[in-house]
Amino acid sequence: MSGSAKMQPLRGDAWVFPGLMDIDYDICSYNLVRDLRADTAEALGPYCMVNVDPDFPKKVKKGDFIVAEENMGYGHDHDHACLALIGAGVGGILCESAAPYFLRNSLEHGLPVVELPGVFKTVSQGDPLEIDLATGTFRNVRTGAQLSFTPPPDFILEMIAAGGVYPMLTRMAEEGRLPKRV
Amino acid sequence: MAETITEKILARASGKAKVTPGEYLTVRSNCPIIFGHHSFDTFMDRGLHTIPRLGVRVFDPSKVIIVDGHGGASSGSNIADVRWAAQKWAREVGIPLENVINLGRGGIENMMSAERAWALPGETFFQGCNGHLSTVGALGAFPCALSHGSGAYLMKGTTWVRVPVSVKIVLKGRMPPKGVYARDVFEYVLQQIGPMGGMSGVLEWCGPVVDEMSMDERFSLCSSAIFTGAWTAIMNPDEKTIAHVKAATKTPFEPMRSDPGAEYAKVYEFDVSKLEPLIVPHPKRHIVKSVRELEGTKINRGFIGSDSGGWFEHMALAARILKGRKLPPDVILNITPGTVGILLRMMETDILRTFVEAGCCVPDPNEGQEAGLNTLLCAGEVCVASAQTNYPGRMGSRDAEIHLANSATVAASSLEGCITDPRKYL
Repeated sequence: MSGSAKMQPLRGDAWVFPGLMDIDYDICSYNLVRDLRADTAEALGPYCMVNVDPDFPKKVKKGDFIVAEENMGYGHDHDHACLALIGAGVGGILCESAAPYFLRNSLEHGLPVVELPGVFKTVSQGDPLEIDLATGTFRNVRTGAQLSFTPPPDFILEMIAAGGVYPMLTRMAEEGRLPKRV
Repeated sequence: MAETITEKILARASGKAKVTPGEYLTVRSNCPIIFGHHSFDTFMDRGLHTIPRLGVRVFDPSKVIIVDGHGGASSGSNIADVRWAAQKWAREVGIPLENVINLGRGGIENMMSAERAWALPGETFFQGCNGHLSTVGALGAFPCALSHGSGAYLMKGTTWVRVPVSVKIVLKGRMPPKGVYARDVFEYVLQQIGPMGGMSGVLEWCGPVVDEMSMDERFSLCSSAIFTGAWTAIMNPDEKTIAHVKAATKTPFEPMRSDPGAEYAKVYEFDVSKLEPLIVPHPKRHIVKSVRELEGTKINRGFIGSDSGGWFEHMALAARILKGRKLPPDVILNITPGTVGILLRMMETDILRTFVEAGCCVPDPNEGQEAGLNTLLCAGEVCVASAQTNYPGRMGSRDAEIHLANSATVAASSLEGCITDPRKYL
């Protein structure tokens, strides 16, 4: 299958955020974004998690993971927070559970979100982590602790590999696989 | 094998005989997809703009409805750009002009979907961006905002869902005689089950208290599901639901109901008989207290509106409290009906006159102050609102405070200039 064939294991360090992370304030201020009229990952990255850790966008390295507790992305179905995370360089979210709209929006932006019960107590700040979406395996490289999960279906792996649903659809349109408007 | 209403709807929408929680499905809808015009802001549903750029077809332009729902007449300058962008997009992709509900004819789009039964019992129902679409679950539809994926749905005519678990909430006892409404019931349940209690699933509200509730109160109860960590909300349609839908539309529909013995991830039972008016103090949405605990806290702003507190019954309730009284000079009370339909009913009664005589500000129907789109709060102001959420900056300055309560509490508190238990006015 094409998606899993393209997906290499993801590697990065852990940024641990305890507590309930609200999509509209903790992860990224919705009203600030609206006032700025910022609409790209690059523009939003500098505001990622700053209400919780003001220096986070400066400290996080490309491909690092956010490790969170339950209901990551609590609240509205706004997707600005997904772009802020991508813009800051976050390579994936590992959480006890994710708010359903946050999960959906992130996957459609090509940002992996994995609900992995037990992950929060398995990881400390800064731990190097490795996750393989296609096989459903997670490893804390520092401690050797491992967890497993049901891999997402192929279409979601393909969406992540393509960088989101619109890059995927754009390719389909260019290949003539979507009906043109006449 | 017994099934929940959600499983039945998703099975039919995906063409399968049976579905189980956790399963991924490709689903359709026989209902239109709706967009608030805010979806066309450059930073909202970005995928929509992919469609004209690629020159691809919207699967069925007649099944797209755009509502001038969030901005209203009194908003900031960019609302004009967004309104223009929505109309331009609609022309470019071939949406019929009559499907673009313009300023003056609209209202909050999920409330209009409920009022006009664009959402139908037994169907999936989609919107662009609006987590409070769960409102229409009260019709026995399965509501889901598609947010970033809405453009993809328009290109394909289908979307994906992972079948959610159902969390059944049985409401027993009798509603207290005064001062307590569906909003308080929701806040009480949130207090009891917490912000993870919804288990990423669908809240299925039922029990004798729901049976007794009006449609307005059922919509209000369903509107806030996301704050329990649920995806959305639903109710089993009854005679009241069917009468509401048949009065609003001639479109045929096939209602579904949960079977006895269907499986739930969790079943909660709550007795509402002893509830009192509740409040969600600034600034965390999931912390709930009783109005009594905050009574006397000074406020200078009030807001009655939104899909939680902007239904006709909430207007009537506020009018009962405000009738023959005047707001203090230093208090502003914004009362925004949710839809033009509600405004018309306010004009047919003396509700609108009551509000104006009391000194309230009554904007045209829209989301308005709820989302910081008109009558903004500045630093230092304190507002009590029947709105959905209260994180810093929601209604303007992040140094303003927002407390959330039912419409009666907002009316009573606005009259007194401080948080007030409304029961003495009722």
